[in-house]
Amino acid sequence: MLLKLTGSILTVFASTMIGNLYARKLSGRPAELRELQGMLRMFETQLCYLSSILADAFFEISKSSKSPVSAIFYDASRILKREKSITAAEAWKKSVEANINNTSLNSEDKNVLISFGSSLGNTDLEGQIKNIRFTVEQLKIQEGKAEEKRRKNEALYRNLGFFGGLAAVIILL
Amino acid sequence: MDLILRIAGIGIIVAILHLVLSKSGREEQAMMVSLVGVVVVLMIVAREIYKLFETVKDLFSF
Repeated sequence: MLLKLTGSILTVFASTMIGNLYARKLSGRPAELRELQGMLRMFETQLCYLSSILADAFFEISKSSKSPVSAIFYDASRILKREKSITAAEAWKKSVEANINNTSLNSEDKNVLISFGSSLGNTDLEGQIKNIRFTVEQLKIQEGKAEEKRRKNEALYRNLGFFGGLAAVIILL
Repeated sequence: MDLILRIAGIGIIVAILHLVLSKSGREEQAMMVSLVGVVVVLMIVAREIYKLFETVKDLFSF
């Protein structure tokens, strides 16, 4: 009896936690996209008024936040400093691919980020700034979509986890 | 657990899942959950009906 009770409680607890995990991933994405927009704006300022070199600019930006997305900037800066023969686009792509799994971003966001990197360091200041603004616009669209998805599905995943666990317990008991 | 209690529990849980799913615009999955609930309950009940038939057969087979 006690064993059954313990097992049931554990099952319900585990499935509730799984539901919470999905819900948190859903709510983390809009926040991270907002964070990224802020960072890109900061990058724009760094280019415009401070004229810092790319590795230093990335490093400064990565220090400004504790969000998981700042690791992308940090790694890009480290790769740029370590490997002398690498282009900015390659370093950025490498860093995005290494860090995307630690964030809540999906493959669509990843494509936006990589296409931002591909014209990094190819044009003059004007072009760079246009590229940054374009990326920020796109991230804003993604954020809207992510917010919509969160609103629709966050409560759903929580409830689904809990009640799914309850159903499993009742069927198996 | 008591048979009736178990079936009632499954019914309530399935009803709640159906409500939650259809509220967030996933009609197909809500339908699927209801269907699975019906099948599970049917399987439980089928076993009991089998037992009933066996009992009846035993009763009348001299």
